[in-house]
This record gives sequence, structure tokens and C-alpha cells, in this order.
Amino acid sequence: MALTVLDPSSERSITTRALVERPASLRGRTVGLLDISKPRGNVFLDQIEARLVEHGAIVRRYRKPTFTKPAPVDLRHEIATQCEVVIEALAD
Amino acid sequence: MHDIADLESRGLPGVFVASGEFVQAAEVQSVALGFAAARVFTPHPIQDRTDDEMRTYADEAFEAILKAVTNG
Amino acid sequence: MPDPSLAPLSDGVVAVLKRDCPTCTFVVPVLDELRQHGVLTAVFSQDDPQFPSGFDVIDDTDLRVSYHHDIDTVPTLLRVTGGVVTGRVEGWNQQQWQDFVGIEPLGAGLAPYRPGCGSLSVDPDRAIELAVRFEGSVLRSRRVEFASLEDEWEAMFDRGWSDGLPVVPPTPERVLRMLAGTSRSPDEIIATVPPDLVPVTVEKVAINAVLAGCKPEYLPIVLAAVAAACTDEFNMHGVLATTMSVGPVLVVNGPIRRDIGMNSAGNVLGQGNRANSTIGRALQLVIRNVGGGRPQGIDRAAHGNPGKIGLCFAEDEEASPWSALSHQFGYDAGVNTVTLFPGEAPHSIVDQLSRTPESLASSMAAVLTTMHHPKLVLGFDAIVVVGPEHARVFADAGWNRERVLDELNTRTIRPGSELARGVGGIAEGIPEHLASASLPKFRPNGLLLVHAGGGAGLFSAVIGGWANGTVGSQPVCTPIDSWR
Repeated sequence: MALTVLDPSSERSITTRALVERPASLRGRTVGLLDISKPRGNVFLDQIEARLVEHGAIVRRYRKPTFTKPAPVDLRHEIATQCEVVIEALAD
Repeated sequence: MHDIADLESRGLPGVFVASGEFVQAAEVQSVALGFAAARVFTPHPIQDRTDDEMRTYADEAFEAILKAVTNG
Repeated sequence: MPDPSLAPLSDGVVAVLKRDCPTCTFVVPVLDELRQHGVLTAVFSQDDPQFPSGFDVIDDTDLRVSYHHDIDTVPTLLRVTGGVVTGRVEGWNQQQWQDFVGIEPLGAGLAPYRPGCGSLSVDPDRAIELAVRFEGSVLRSRRVEFASLEDEWEAMFDRGWSDGLPVVPPTPERVLRMLAGTSRSPDEIIATVPPDLVPVTVEKVAINAVLAGCKPEYLPIVLAAVAAACTDEFNMHGVLATTMSVGPVLVVNGPIRRDIGMNSAGNVLGQGNRANSTIGRALQLVIRNVGGGRPQGIDRAAHGNPGKIGLCFAEDEEASPWSALSHQFGYDAGVNTVTLFPGEAPHSIVDQLSRTPESLASSMAAVLTTMHHPKLVLGFDAIVVVGPEHARVFADAGWNRERVLDELNTRTIRPGSELARGVGGIAEGIPEHLASASLPKFRPNGLLLVHAGGGAGLFSAVIGGWANGTVGSQPVCTPIDSWR
């Protein structure tokens, strides 16, 4: 069961983290494409890969075992150490 | 969303691509996770689309994906 | 606590019972007499709506009525006038009952006295559950529901609520339990917390005390410390925003130290005691979470120090040859106080050879003159934490607190000629026009003395301060008991 806690903060902002800093462009950057393993997603990602390569990015492909669960921690670690940007697709 | 939330916490800019069916679920999850991951939505449905239609979805989403992970 | 959903009781005499209590069973014939006299208007049962049989019993198995009318004992008779409880008797006492209802005799032939039983509404196993059910609405803070896949400990890190160590999930149950540590109302605003200048309620402090790992009995100290930290004198904004390494250091005096089991002995400035470790942390979490003060944000410390996780300790008053630190601020012995000092990390004074107070005072003074920089004076206060073995050297010679402070102050006076900029090939120092003066290291009352530490070890410790006086921070000593 989901746990409910009381917000310890001033509640002046919503309890969210900010996004990390983005690079100016993907040119020359290593981009991870994470396939969540839903059927048809690979076709979508193949096209994204083609467009990224056209754009000058270096693409690495990853696939998580099942779309129903978060990716295993070693896969996330692998992506984090090998890539500079990640694109996860395609949930429907 | 969990994956992107986790990878962002490791310092990796990320974007999550889903079909339009996911708009509301993603919203709810981002509140629950305390993290509003960058999101791009394609049209729904997916499963009955031809390969060409899927490539068109990808082409149409590409600029938004690029924008979500860059600040250029 | 008034509950709008609770119907008012009908006027007359109301009885609250439970079958499980022999005294309740015992008084059933008396209740029957009251009913025949037409004074009994309602009977509530806490455990069995069929009890007592033959009566028109109102089911209170959810304990709503018992809880809201503060029933401690069963049986209880309540007198209700105009929907309001105006009197009560507990247990069975023939004379009291007769007086209460104005009917005599009652319960003729019964033993005249039988103590009651504990009400289910105050059963310790259920107290928190009931408090959440009936008083959860007093908690005003936003509820945050974690996603089912989220690990709650990770979720709290992700939301930035932690100082880097795990924090305890502040569930409504834990927060209500924490709030039992004070009589203050949860919605009372007790301070405006820098740097974002956010008014903080008792409830928010309690939530952060839960995060920090405090027990409810620590809460009054945390509340006192938050209020003291947010004063103009202490200037928490400056202590936070400075590039120097200081953070709030808390010293507790008075019997509360013993009551909550604080450490004032071995490893007093270190880890291992829950109260010491969590009280200072709770203050720092309030500054972080409520005030918005975060390292590399408004907290500009170049280095910081490990005590910024939270540094709180107690003075060893029992074995001290001196009056307490709080006495330096004008409080009598026996008054519970917490003193806030903007302190850097403690460092040691090692002297294992001095047998006379003069030698030891000179030795300590030599170390004190180096604090922050040997050529800088008057700008910084300090706490000297005198270890018991060092204190004994002073005590055996009859030196009291004032004498020790005087001697340390005198022995830390330095000729300006040694301190001026450029002297010794060191650019740092005091302005050259002061070179002809003799300058004390500390301003008047700039040295604070605390007796604490383990019984073996000819050591003391120094906790250096931050810019003192009106431009910086003033140590603040504040009483605790009004926060209980």
C-alpha cells in the first residue's frame, strides 16, 4: 500500500525536483535509446535513431526486460555511465 | 517515468515518450514521484499501426524529443 | 476537541460502560434504578452494544463518543446540561453517585466502593490510531502519497527532504505522536525561518523532528531551539549564508538532560546518543526544509563541518565544580535551557602535564589564541568544553567559573605588534594602526565554559565561533519549559 506522509517543507513550491541541465545540442553527444519492450516500439526507435544519427549524435540502444517494471538497477547504471542523454520509448 | 526519474537523479537528461493514452497517467505519476519528467506524446493507437505509420509518428515527435533534452 | 460530526449528548445523566469491566457489570442494577427515576438518558457501550441487556444501548465500539468526551475510566457518569458535559463521576462510589444524581439511597446492599477500569479510548495500543482517526484533521500539512512502486526512503531523498542521511517517514501517526511532546497547538506559529522567511508552525517543526529521528520528549528542546535560532540576535540567516564553516551548536542545561537521557560524558561531542544526535539535526532540517536553506544554495559555507548535520550536547552539571553554562546567561540552576552558539567543528586541547591551574590556564590560552588565526582577535567567540580531568585541576585550586574565564581572558591578551598585518611575513592580521595596543583574543563574555566529557583524558575541546556581535551572531540561551 502506498505510504502517506506529511510534507515537511514550506509548501511554497510543489514537491518536485528540477530537471537536470540540458546540453545545447545533441551533436557529438552519446544518446541512449531505452526500449521499454512494448511491441512496435522498436520501429519507432529505429526511426528516432536514424534521425539522431543524421543530427550528429552517437546512439546506443538499450532494452529493458519488461515494460511493466522499472529497469533493473544495473541497466540504469550502464546507461548512466555510457550516455549523456537518454530517450525512453514507447509506452502506449 | 521511474527510469527517467532515476536517470535524471544520476545526472542524465532524459525524456519519456508515450502515446496520448498516457497523458493523464504520466501527470499523476509525476506528482506521486515528485518529479515531472520531460514527456513527449505520440498519437494513439500504436499496436495496429503499420511500420510506415510508426516512422511518421517518430518523425513528427522528433523535434519535440530534441527540444526536451536540449536547451538550444 | 469539538467534532462537528458528533451529535450533542441528550440532557440528563449519561453512562459510558464496557462489558469487559467487572465494575460496569456490578453497577448495572444501579443504572436500572437511575432509569426508573427517569434521570438516565443514554448508555454507551465501548465493546458490546448488547451490554447491559435490557437497556437501550448506544454503540460506541468505534469509541468516538468516549474519545471526544475524554473518558478515562469506565463506568463514567456524565451530567449533560444544554448538550454540554457539566460534571462526571468515575468508577463506583455510592456516596459520590448519590450526590451526583441527587437520589438516595442508590445501590442499597452493594459494596459502597469499587474502582473502575481503564476506558478503551485511552488504551495505549489504540491511542495513536484513535488520535489519527479523530484528530487527524488538526494536521494541516499537505499530504504526500508515495507511488506504490516507490521505496519510501528513496522517495524522501528524491524530494530533497534529507540532509544526506536517511530520514524517518513523517506519517500522520508519527507526527501526532511527536506532537504529544508539547502542549502547544499544532497550528501555532513559533518563528519565521530564514532564508526564505517562512512562518513555521509547531506542526512543521514536529514533522521535521520526526524526520530527524527525535522522540516526542525531545520536541520542547527542538521548538525552543527553532525559536531561538530565528531571533535577530542569533541571526540564523547569517550563520547559514556565511562562507565560514559554522552551524548552530546546541548546549542543553537543566534536569531535562537527564529526563531524556542526553549524553554529557564520554564522546559527548560525538555519535551514539539519540537525543544528542537528533535534536540538533531537527533544527537543521527545519532550516533546510521550511526555510529553504541548502548547501551550495543560500548556505554558502566553503567547507562546512560535520556538526552541521546537527550538533547538540548536554553539560555535565552533576560532576561539575562550577555553576552551569546557563548561569552565564543569568538562569538559575534547575532551569531547563538550550544555548545556541554558531560553532565550527570542535578541536582538542591536549595538556597531560599541567598540575597547577596557572599552567593549565596558560596552556589552554595558548591554544585559544590560535583559534581561526593566531593574528586575529576579538572577532570570534568560543565555547571551551572543559573535560572533567582538566576541570579537577581548576577545582582543586578553588577556581570557580568566573575565575577560570578571567584567567583565560587575561592569558589570551596579545601585543598588537605581534598581530599586525605583515608581521612574521604573514599578510593576515589586524590593521597596523592597532599595533601599539594590547588586544584580548575575546570580547567581554565572548568565552563560554561548559563542563562535559569522559572521566578519563586530560583534554578539553574548543568550539570556535562566527563573527560576533550585532554584525554577526550573538549566542542565545533560552528556557525550554514553556515549550512543553
